[in-house]
Amino acid sequence: MREFISKYGLIAVLLALPVFYGVKDLVDDGNLAHLGQNLFQGLSNGSIWALIAVGYTLVYGIIELINFAHGDVFMIGSFVAAGLFGTVGLGLATGVGGLVPGLLLVLVICMATCGALNVMIERVAYRPLRSAPKLAPLITAVGFSFILQNVGLLWVGGSPASVPDLIHAQQDVFTFLGITVQRADLLAIFVTIPLVVAATLFISRSRLGKAMRATAQDPDAARLMGISVDTTISLTFLLGGMLAGAAGLIYALYQTTVWYFQGFQAGLIAFTAAVMGGIGNLRGAVLGGLIIGCIQFISDDRIGPQWTPAIVFAYLVLIMVFRPQGLIGEETREAG
Amino acid sequence: MAARAASFRRGFAFNPSPAVSRALALALAAFAIVYPLLLDPISGLLDDSVVALAYVIMGLGLNVVVGFAGLLDLGYVAFFAIGAFSVGWFMSTFYADANIHVLVSSNVHNLPGIHLNFLLVIVIAAVLCALAGMLIGLPTLRLRGDYIAIVTLAFGEIIRVFAVNGDSVHVFGNGYPLTNGRQGITPVDQLDLPFVKPFTQLDLRPWYWLVLTLVFIVLFVVIRLRDSRLGRAWVAVREDEVAAASMGVPLVKTKLLAYTVGGAIGGVAGAFLAAYLNTVNADQFAFSFSIFVLAMIILGGLGSIWGVVLGAIVLSFINNRLIPDVLNSVPGKLGLDFNLSDLGFGIFGFLLVIVMVLRPEGLLPERRRKLELTEGVGTDDALYEVRA
Amino acid sequence: MSTPATGAAPALPLADRPLLLKAEHVTKRFGGLVANNDVSFGVPERSIVSIIGPNGAGKTTFFNMLTGLYRPSTGRISFADRDVTGTRPDRITAMGMARTFQNIRLFGTMSALENVLVGQHARMKAGLVGSVFRTPGVRKEEARVREHGREMLAYVGLPAAAFEQLAINLSYGDQRRVEIARALASDPKLLLLDEPTAGMNPQESATLTDFMHRLRDERGLAILLIEHDMKVVMGVSEQITVLDHGEKIAEGAPQAVRDDPRVVEAYLGKQG
Repeated sequence: MREFISKYGLIAVLLALPVFYGVKDLVDDGNLAHLGQNLFQGLSNGSIWALIAVGYTLVYGIIELINFAHGDVFMIGSFVAAGLFGTVGLGLATGVGGLVPGLLLVLVICMATCGALNVMIERVAYRPLRSAPKLAPLITAVGFSFILQNVGLLWVGGSPASVPDLIHAQQDVFTFLGITVQRADLLAIFVTIPLVVAATLFISRSRLGKAMRATAQDPDAARLMGISVDTTISLTFLLGGMLAGAAGLIYALYQTTVWYFQGFQAGLIAFTAAVMGGIGNLRGAVLGGLIIGCIQFISDDRIGPQWTPAIVFAYLVLIMVFRPQGLIGEETREAG
Repeated sequence: MAARAASFRRGFAFNPSPAVSRALALALAAFAIVYPLLLDPISGLLDDSVVALAYVIMGLGLNVVVGFAGLLDLGYVAFFAIGAFSVGWFMSTFYADANIHVLVSSNVHNLPGIHLNFLLVIVIAAVLCALAGMLIGLPTLRLRGDYIAIVTLAFGEIIRVFAVNGDSVHVFGNGYPLTNGRQGITPVDQLDLPFVKPFTQLDLRPWYWLVLTLVFIVLFVVIRLRDSRLGRAWVAVREDEVAAASMGVPLVKTKLLAYTVGGAIGGVAGAFLAAYLNTVNADQFAFSFSIFVLAMIILGGLGSIWGVVLGAIVLSFINNRLIPDVLNSVPGKLGLDFNLSDLGFGIFGFLLVIVMVLRPEGLLPERRRKLELTEGVGTDDALYEVRA
Repeated sequence: MSTPATGAAPALPLADRPLLLKAEHVTKRFGGLVANNDVSFGVPERSIVSIIGPNGAGKTTFFNMLTGLYRPSTGRISFADRDVTGTRPDRITAMGMARTFQNIRLFGTMSALENVLVGQHARMKAGLVGSVFRTPGVRKEEARVREHGREMLAYVGLPAAAFEQLAINLSYGDQRRVEIARALASDPKLLLLDEPTAGMNPQESATLTDFMHRLRDERGLAILLIEHDMKVVMGVSEQITVLDHGEKIAEGAPQAVRDDPRVVEAYLGKQG
């Protein structure tokens, strides 16, 4: 009964904003095009959060650590991408023929860099503390987040830097049911979906994925079964970092600006998404990312962007307090 | 080599006998009292010392929550904000439509706004922050430790958003916005305490002695609490919730008291800082401040009262002196073109990582925390089934 | 722990003593897994009763429900004629139930004495303000609980030299003693011991058996025991309840339980 109330209570709370403004639109405009536009943009932006949230959820699933630096790894990914555009010869004039291979190259480099960075962070800041109280690695994670932010600050400076609008992000592609679809939206959706599907398949099908799940369930038993726990954890960080790197590139193309502070905000939003979906649950993280994206866009558009962080955080608090297992998480059994 | 490293680490441990440490504390206190007489009354060093002591109070407050009770609070800046706003609301011309004067001297009698005596405001700040601590604590207490950290962070950020945008929030009618937005509330009333001359920015010594008095009071409170029934309950809850609850320690009440005490102390420091800096600046209430205070207590030694005092003084001097005055010329000399004051929070992040990995017990370790952090004493099992 | 038990049995036969603790139709589910199914059970006043069963039979889960760590999915638990189903563990302790843990759970960084002081938390009143100002009442209380704590440590046989030692530095046997002292310090009417002889040699186990008799006879305690060591169980229990796969399969006097074919089957597997 409690379970029922908390689950559907959460769904009702999540639906409150869209339903309220949907009714308002119907009264004001007679149709839902405005809300539809909000939701569509929310989905496309949310798919970036989903990529980051998957990284959070993977790491949490395996070592129960909130990898606070994850958002900043994503930020570094954006910076790498923005820095590489010129290097690989991509400019505003580059046509589709040059753009696709160029961006693919940048994507691979971003993913590799962020994956390696994430593995390095685990090695330096988390692994030595594996037997320490749980709060110890969380503190080093916050510390690393600050270090990376400072790297970003020194790299690009204190204010947002603009990135060449390679894909002409704001250009409309088509309009459907009153919803305008821009190039940026297509990019976000069409890069995210294959990556998330690939990551999910990797974890559910491959041998390494099985090792990851085994380690997540019981590291000691996994070790007895001949699984190298250290390697498996490194691999998890690699995978999470790679997805964050991809998200970094998409973000740079999508927003056409990068900022050292973007990772902190994105990290918290993506963490909210991961918790909303049920931390440790891949599909949940994706779902959470998409929902948070929608809430954000509705809030930006209707309430005012300056209040959006407060609204997202209010959702975070509500979910953590009233339904910490998220939308599709399961209650874990305690040893007893 | 390994043995040398070990003895080096042990050499740092500071475990004087009670008599020695009492004598040491008295000598330190005596020095702290006469210290400003050695300095010019408006010297920069005295200015930094006043701020450092205010940070000591902050650190001691956060230490109650994180060090004693083991609840990682990443939103401690909320109490700085609420304490500072108590000064902004009740000690300035901000609410010009109101005309309330309580126990204030003639120099603000003719000004519009709410003007209460600073001693009253400090009490109000402490009470408001204690309530806020309870409010933040209450929903989080059923959660596991890492979730508590994130929820406190979220609360801190929500309060910052309200501080920055509060100029458009009118709770008590039109003339009464919640905050003054990014412009901040400035100036605030000059302090005017009984039996002493009104405080000015031209003589920092009275400020120093005021904040030192506050430090002594807070030290007294936290030491007494540490050695009490409540202090033992905090340690028990931190080490093993399940065992603590089974021994009759009420978890929610015990943790809430930690938030309440920690919040109230943070509010006192926040009120003092606002009065001293003569402004309530909404942009100060950022997440990085919470981490700044956290870095103080981690560096000094989680749970260790003297460690926190040391950590707060060291870090505030690094922040206010070393980085702006000394290090800033370094990149130029090396031919680099960045401003080292930008490095502030990176340095604190670096400190957090280094200290946690290499010496998690901090500079002046507390005996228990050292065992927990280095020997793995204690358990992270939490009571998910027990109702809040 | 050295004096032998007096052996003087309580006046009333077991069945006539009023029940101190009563569990009725208690079931605990974790997701799809049923850890305890419809268990009914009682502990009479001033008695020593045991719960036994193979590993994974749900004994500790049942203990955790009695002490309030878990909330039963269905069923009712009452203690001293009050409903305690789902009551918080600290409240239950305050009502007079105390426990030890299978894997000793002392506060490792506290001294033996401090551990026992925490055990008296529910019997103390000192609050925030009183503790800061150290009022005469608080001072008196602190002195009283320290004295009582030392008595308890001496009662369980801890050498005085060990009182101020940190719990993690104590020997295994002494840790067991301190854990019992900590539980006793809360002045319980019912003491729950979760495998107290785990890791003890036969002689230590025998001493503990005597000690349990003393607790009942000298202090009027009821004791509920989870135990694997059959010698201890058979020697000390007035009544034994057997759990298997979360269900109660037998209950009665030691001799009857030992001869019950269902119990033999549960322990040895079906023969033939």
